[in-house]
Amino acid sequence: MNNSEYKQKALDKSSSGRTIEMVNKSLSRRYKAERRFRRYGQVAIIISLGFLCLLFISIISKGYPAFYQTFIQIDVFLDPDVLPKDKLSTANYPGLIKKSLSSEFPEVELRREKKQLYGMVSIGAYYQIRKMVMKNRDMIGTTQTVWVPVDDDIDMLAKGHIDRNTPELERRVKDIQLAWFDRWDKAGKIKKRFNTTFFTSGDSREPEMSGIWGAMAGSLYVLVVTLLLSFPIGVAAAVYLEEFASKSRWVDLIEVNINNLAAVPSIVFGLLGLAIFINFFGLPRSAPLVGGLVLTLMTLPIIIIASRAALQSVPPSIRQAALGVGASKMQTVFHHVFPLALPGILTGTIIGISRALGETAPLLMIGMVAFIVDVPGSFTDPSTVLPVQIYLWADSPERAFVERTSAAILVLLALLIATNFLAVLLRNRFERRW
Amino acid sequence: MTPSFLIILLLALSVFGYHAGRRRALSVAGEADAPKLHSRPVYYGILTALWCGIPAMILFVFWLAFEPAIITNIVVAEFPAEIKNLQESRLNLVINDVKNLVEGNIVSSETKTWLQSAADHYKDLQVVSKAALAVIALSLAIICALVVWRKISPQLRARNHVERIFKYFLIACSTFAIFTTIGIVLSVLFEAVRFFKVIPITDFLFGLDWSPQMAIRADQVGSSGAFGAIPVFMGTLMISAIAMLVAAPLGLMAAIYLSEYADIKIRAVVKPLLEILAGIPTVVYGFFAALTVAPFIRNTGSLIGMDVSSESALAAGLVMGIMIIPFVSSLSDDVINAVPQSMRDGSYALGATNSETIKQVVIPAALPGIVGGILLAVSRAIGETMIVVMAAGLTANLTLNPLKTVTTVTVQIVTLLVGDQEFDSPKTLAAFALGLMLFIVTLVLNIIALFVVRKYREQYE
Amino acid sequence: MIRIIVVLAAAFTTFTFWTCTQSESRNYVSIVGSSTVYPFAAVVAEQFGRTTRFRTPILESTGSGGGIKLFCSGVGLEHPDIANASRRIKKSEVDRCRENGVNEIIEVKIGYDGIVLASSRKNPPMSISRKDIFLALAKEIPDLSGAEKLIANPHKTWKDVNSSLPDTKIEVLGPPPTSGTRDAFVELAMEGGAKTFSWIKDLKKKDKSRYKAICHTIREDGAFIEAGENDNLIIQKLEANPDAVGIFGFSFLEQNTDKIQGSSVDGFEPNFGSIAKGDYPVSRPLFMYVKKSHVGVIPGIKNYIEEFTSDKAWGEDGYLADKGMIPMPKEEREKYYNDARYLVPIEIK
Repeated sequence: MNNSEYKQKALDKSSSGRTIEMVNKSLSRRYKAERRFRRYGQVAIIISLGFLCLLFISIISKGYPAFYQTFIQIDVFLDPDVLPKDKLSTANYPGLIKKSLSSEFPEVELRREKKQLYGMVSIGAYYQIRKMVMKNRDMIGTTQTVWVPVDDDIDMLAKGHIDRNTPELERRVKDIQLAWFDRWDKAGKIKKRFNTTFFTSGDSREPEMSGIWGAMAGSLYVLVVTLLLSFPIGVAAAVYLEEFASKSRWVDLIEVNINNLAAVPSIVFGLLGLAIFINFFGLPRSAPLVGGLVLTLMTLPIIIIASRAALQSVPPSIRQAALGVGASKMQTVFHHVFPLALPGILTGTIIGISRALGETAPLLMIGMVAFIVDVPGSFTDPSTVLPVQIYLWADSPERAFVERTSAAILVLLALLIATNFLAVLLRNRFERRW
Repeated sequence: MTPSFLIILLLALSVFGYHAGRRRALSVAGEADAPKLHSRPVYYGILTALWCGIPAMILFVFWLAFEPAIITNIVVAEFPAEIKNLQESRLNLVINDVKNLVEGNIVSSETKTWLQSAADHYKDLQVVSKAALAVIALSLAIICALVVWRKISPQLRARNHVERIFKYFLIACSTFAIFTTIGIVLSVLFEAVRFFKVIPITDFLFGLDWSPQMAIRADQVGSSGAFGAIPVFMGTLMISAIAMLVAAPLGLMAAIYLSEYADIKIRAVVKPLLEILAGIPTVVYGFFAALTVAPFIRNTGSLIGMDVSSESALAAGLVMGIMIIPFVSSLSDDVINAVPQSMRDGSYALGATNSETIKQVVIPAALPGIVGGILLAVSRAIGETMIVVMAAGLTANLTLNPLKTVTTVTVQIVTLLVGDQEFDSPKTLAAFALGLMLFIVTLVLNIIALFVVRKYREQYE
Repeated sequence: MIRIIVVLAAAFTTFTFWTCTQSESRNYVSIVGSSTVYPFAAVVAEQFGRTTRFRTPILESTGSGGGIKLFCSGVGLEHPDIANASRRIKKSEVDRCRENGVNEIIEVKIGYDGIVLASSRKNPPMSISRKDIFLALAKEIPDLSGAEKLIANPHKTWKDVNSSLPDTKIEVLGPPPTSGTRDAFVELAMEGGAKTFSWIKDLKKKDKSRYKAICHTIREDGAFIEAGENDNLIIQKLEANPDAVGIFGFSFLEQNTDKIQGSSVDGFEPNFGSIAKGDYPVSRPLFMYVKKSHVGVIPGIKNYIEEFTSDKAWGEDGYLADKGMIPMPKEEREKYYNDARYLVPIEIK
């Protein structure tokens, strides 16, 4: 504030009575302003948290049913004629299940109805039986009672997402299937179980067989690459620019550049990654390594800007004191300034990484928006990431993917909260006021 | 020896070098009539460790980078003549076959004997190369470390050496931004130039009509597309402005409350909670904006007799504002918290209330950081795509009415790039031109911001 | 502090070198292309991966244009083996391929995708003709008096277009101009409607570009809303706004028959039978392009194509039909099966 203004005010006051009277007179107004100001802050926080709650409630209420999957109990006769010992992997497993279903409902003879009956069980059931038989060959020739997943439409029915009152033509599940389902249900052969498939398998076009583990592993790999690269590089850049570089046009240039990079649309980083990492360095497409590199480029500006702000806010007296007792510039920065700036740096990292974890667009250009069934095992295996999985599922026609989309979002948020938690712990440890 | 084992060995050697260097420093200093050590013993250790690790690591990187190419060349040299004379791209496919064989993957065509022998040869060479690498890298590490270790004396300015190495590292890191910028400019420039060859640059810059619907395709001669960028940039501006109107007051007030008024425990919980807002995938916000907020605005609008289109800039902007709250709140909170308590105490001592102190002392002191956070938030708003695609539509309208459909630059870039059009049609190339334009516009804005911040920045103490 | 830096540096280097040591050969089929074909190709890829000894192909959803660009960028393992497209490959693209050494491309038509106009079930179903579509959505329409000139589209409600249609505001949520769905819709529905005016039809021979401009330009006054390509979102918007009409792929209609209904076009309802027979006028072919020089080199390409072209996949009762793809008639299937089997490259003039 301007000095002459103060003087002017002081003059005004002295001319109109004693200061204390003035102060007392204005006190209630000032206290009111104080309370109002305080309330603004509370309201801002309540509004923000309210939105967070709203979003969470809507995601959770949509997503939690995906953690359960409906199973059906069937008796399968493992016919030795269908399962020749030397051709176990390519045997006709669908035939086994179809036979078992037919024997349960011998009255179904029409071809169309048979197709509807067979369609009630997921194709995942075939793979399940196959796995079971391959694991334990002694079972061949016996009748096994197994719980197999039902088709996604039946699953939706069991979860109450299909209205029985709509006319048959407009319904995915036909009347006859409803009757079968009810008969099974009455016999206690329908059961809802925790959906382990969702957490252990990769993507699939069949909702009941799809899982997020593939995308989750991809996200973890990408996260590791991004964190390992962007945190040290970002902090180092910020430290150099803020503490070592002499204020020159060159530093101004870099500063403007970094601020500008933060506003570059993320898909442009994808174009850059495609040009540099894939076409120039010859790294493989769809690899988490490349994804991590691209996201590093994207998060770097955020981390650098936040870190610089944090370094700036460390009072100069700290530096002067350290230099005064004979520390070198490097020691001053790394022993005294950096630890004090760490909370702010970590905030930047949290926000940057949160953004990187939720990003889809740049990955499109480098081949990570893809259908990948196999779970990636290394940094160069083709893989996708959670937000991409969410994006792809959100665009799938099958109704059952709606709840899976929300469930995947929940998992992504859990991952995010878990990584942030560590950073928050660190931040709280280093935070202090002076 | 596998490369990862070799790295672990190298790291172990470095740790050993650190201890050896430190001990040596202590022992030379401990000798009678020795001068005082120039640096603390730690620095001698670090210096030894760095010299032990870095040259060997550099060798390692180069070796691994060139190894496959060299081995491949040696193997190719032994291919039958008719294979060797194949086109390069075809040859690559054959080499892929060999590599697949080496790794024991399924190989497509039936294995020919020469292919098998090539694969065997490849494997042998790999083994030899790995062994050689191990020997050379380890001996290099040991030799370098030994040389430094021998040189350790009280006069050796170890700290200065170490600090110089660190400083080079810091400088290298800070140039990343420059390289990224150059890369981005290069990756959009050429395509943008191709676009401007088809569409005059003035039409693009000053055109008031954006409608890439009439593509200039081979089978659509004559119908001209409109590529005026102004409506698109206006859309970006409007949506970002709405978002900032939501995020800046909410974020700033939240930050002030958290750092100045709130209980420490509440702050420790609320701050990370708010940060989650930044991490929720934008698809979620998109659905929220399109299915909850937009119909709400539309219905309220029609209640009071206003004509609101079902996708509006307002819906997208509001939701985007929520998303970027943490950019403002968390970053501002950190800098406000870092303002020295002595300044507040000074203000209180003069009889100022809490809010007066905040408004007149704390905020000005924390201004650079707050502006940094707001700038980041603006950047994020400009770069956001998904929410706008889902809630504000894709039609470019030149309007200032927030209840109308608008579109933004990034949305256009994304839809143009991932559409089903040919890649060399002006429609697709327009994406690059828009990217370049946006880059330049934000650059100018940032330069302005830099000067403004510098002018009003106040450094206390 | 130094300790933290050392630990970080150690992690960093280990990680960098570990990735350096990864191999770089490819043992899976790489597929790129259209997001419309993506759900169908994904089913085949999954089935193929689970039932054969090969790895599951990697299928990227890049859009037809982006996919063909990647596909045409060269021969070699860093380039994809197969490109899916929701339109036919263009001459300029084939040329580009040739420039980069991709000389022989095998074209496989895999089936049809119906484009439907659908609305919420809360209102009675509409039955419209292609002429109605043209008159409702074109930017400029022929003068109502019958003279051979164009006027800006004055229609506000469907009733204005055709008195048998309901009296609701024209509000159509459709794909943006960059999308292949839009191109197909414009070519099949709008152009089909425009042709019903004989003078416009005559224009085709005389002034082709003007003809295209008339047929292909969609109005921009807010009646047609470009809604992005998330079809699920369009469906949810239709539910919220019963008067709106949405344009999207048939498979989404099929999955949501309890919420939305397809409008019949020219008297044909959008369903499996009418689209497969070719009665329903707005459907487009889907294609798959295979790089011949990769066949036999990247493991599994041939087998993948065989899986795709087998009757259990693309046949009338195949699993692709279950997912909403409209199968081709038998003869057409046989033709493309043979093309794929004997790797007959296409000729595009």
